Amino acid sequence: MGKMWTILKIMVKMQLSMAGKSNSEKAGYGFLFVFMIPFGILILYTLNTMIGTLYTNLSPTGNENVILGLLFVFITFIFIFVSLSTVLSSFYFAEDVESFIALPFHPYQIVIGKSAIPFLSLYGINTILLLPSLVFYGIHSESGLLYYLFAIIIWLITPVLPFVATAIVVMFIMRFANISKNKDRTKVIVGLLGFAFAIGINVLLRLDSEGSNGAGMTELITEQNALLSLVTKFFPNAYLSSITLTDPNSITGLSFLLLLLGVAVLSIILFMTVGQQWYFKGVLGLSGGKRSTFKGTDLTKQTKKKSLLYSLWQKEIKTILRTPTFFTQIVVQSLFFPLFIVIILLLEGNGSLSDMATMINGWADKTKLLTLFAFTIIGLGINPASFSSISRDGKSWFNHLYLPITPNTVIMSKLLVSFFLNGLSLIILSVVVLFFLNVPWGIWSLWFIASLCVSWVTSIIGLLLDLYQPKMNWTDEREVFKGRMIGLFAIGIDVIVFGVLLVILWFAPIFSNTASTSLFLFSYLLICVGIGQWYLRKMTKDKYTSVI
Amino acid sequence: MIELINVTKNYPGKTAVQDLSLTIPDGKIFGFLGPNGAGKSTTIKMMTGILPIDEGTIMVNGKDMKKDTLSAKRIIGYVPDRSDIFLRLKGIEYLNFIADVYDVPKEVRETKITELTKKFGIYEALDDHIQTYSHGMKQKIVVSGVLLHDPDIWILDEPLTGLDPKSSYTLKEMMREHANKGKIVFFSTHVLEVVEQLCDEVAIINHGQIQFQGNMADMKQQYQENDNLERLFLELTQNG
Repeated sequence: MGKMWTILKIMVKMQLSMAGKSNSEKAGYGFLFVFMIPFGILILYTLNTMIGTLYTNLSPTGNENVILGLLFVFITFIFIFVSLSTVLSSFYFAEDVESFIALPFHPYQIVIGKSAIPFLSLYGINTILLLPSLVFYGIHSESGLLYYLFAIIIWLITPVLPFVATAIVVMFIMRFANISKNKDRTKVIVGLLGFAFAIGINVLLRLDSEGSNGAGMTELITEQNALLSLVTKFFPNAYLSSITLTDPNSITGLSFLLLLLGVAVLSIILFMTVGQQWYFKGVLGLSGGKRSTFKGTDLTKQTKKKSLLYSLWQKEIKTILRTPTFFTQIVVQSLFFPLFIVIILLLEGNGSLSDMATMINGWADKTKLLTLFAFTIIGLGINPASFSSISRDGKSWFNHLYLPITPNTVIMSKLLVSFFLNGLSLIILSVVVLFFLNVPWGIWSLWFIASLCVSWVTSIIGLLLDLYQPKMNWTDEREVFKGRMIGLFAIGIDVIVFGVLLVILWFAPIFSNTASTSLFLFSYLLICVGIGQWYLRKMTKDKYTSVI
Repeated sequence: MIELINVTKNYPGKTAVQDLSLTIPDGKIFGFLGPNGAGKSTTIKMMTGILPIDEGTIMVNGKDMKKDTLSAKRIIGYVPDRSDIFLRLKGIEYLNFIADVYDVPKEVRETKITELTKKFGIYEALDDHIQTYSHGMKQKIVVSGVLLHDPDIWILDEPLTGLDPKSSYTLKEMMREHANKGKIVFFSTHVLEVVEQLCDEVAIINHGQIQFQGNMADMKQQYQENDNLERLFLELTQNG
């Protein structure tokens, strides 16, 4: 027990430590916290309205326990999903795994230690979503003290079962599926699942948008009652929890609570046993890689001479495509926005799509151009390739310093990478604009050229921010993105730079037609490019050698 | 010839290298010794252009590292002490990238890559990602990359660490051949046996200053009471 406590403490400390974080990073966290407050209030407000509406609609028929059932199923689903990636990365892919294996700990002790951070993150979600929901339900159902007491106990044990179940499944897969050879591929699949989840949630929410704040869902629940009870039965914890809280004063309520507690304790024991048996078998040998034999048949092709800039650019692109974290955070994330729009448009069905096309084509050319342009700013503003330009190199950055390459060439190659990846988004958006929304070619070409300029400027902004305060000493690629405010700052600056432009163009009476609008638009953008380029050169000169 | 003239490097709150002057003549294998934290790495980093020089001048075959940085870097082949190179590239891609950087002609790079990687026994692993290489293999791919453009001056920071006996022998032979052609091999190491066996000249640095510079015979003569290099090294750096 003593050893388990030691390893648990050390792992939590290592993950949550603020050591080595600069003051501005710490200030960033504070800023993020303040920034999240309005969002928190919005979430709480939506939850309350939703639960209230459902309660009013369902209580007359005595179906109100469905709300709790649904809530627990939903939260269990989220927990399983979140645990899947956190367990994988904490148990198997983290850099520190090997250093702990060498120490004289039992596998179950390491597994418990490794669970600390994934488990704490579940409690974070638990506190944000489940706790207020249970309170709101208590208020609407005018429950007594016993309900709140039970609710707190249930809140405490809810994450246990989903986490344990997921962790056991993951350990089973890693034990038997020989994933060690496909470590990178597994990371990419888990990353992609995240985006599929985001799109799925959105589609679900859109299904509900027919009725407002839960009315549509009430309809869905009443219709699908049988299905829902079936679903609840698949998640026994959801079933038990909802019955306990619907009737806390009864013997059934109390016995179901005891049963829940028993299940939680048993599952923890099971988890430790499985960990003891399977963890080492799955984790050992993970660091090995695939080996092939070089035949030299393609040597002539592989030793082709390229220009230095192209060679550097290719190195960057290869690194991004081959590093799972970079691939999901940069490529998938930047393509997410345009692909998301395509999916939503396709889901809308043909009728509303053509309606939208008709509506857009009814607008004046200037309005068309500016609307599309505003849309692109949001899309290209999220440009992870740019604000990770320098940090991506991590400890290998110093190689650029002794090689005979000018700083400006290295920086330019990085700029071209994020410009190129933005270009892919622009191509997808172009297909939507031209073929789904039937925007005329003339307007499209103006928009496209303007978007290329925006792409260049946003790439410079991200790169400048990363050059100003890069994160080089990472041991896991995720640190390049995790807990850094840089993306937020980048989009903030983008919004200011282009927001001013849009406001001027939209409201100044002098820009009444496309010609004058375009003239001002391109002049402004060219000035932005010029200033950005000048400042980038200056920063490169000042910062390039002091990055590490 | 490499000339370090009154070179100083300050870090916040600490002077790493102080008013250091050193001349490394052509045709020599030059050993650079010193305890941990003595200023060895800082000096090498300034010589290779990784760290800016605060004061003083470093001339590499007549090229000023501060003013004519790119030309100076082109003359040097540098093997860093750590193998944090571009891990996601395949061995062959890394070598080709380095060849692009140093502008190695197409025909030369093909022959050189084959010759060097076969010599070090990593030819068959060229199609694998460097990430999957062992420490020794990473070291070998870096050394192969450095030698692709046939640089006049080799600067090697702990080059033998992690190499197997055969590769270590091969590299030492290559160092000797290079020096015999009238070129410079400058390397740092902690292994004193290697210094005794290989070096024509040594310099010992401590607290950012040169404690001794000369050839092996001089050194032994000057400190006759110390019959082995280890004791001499300890004596010279005892305040470290």
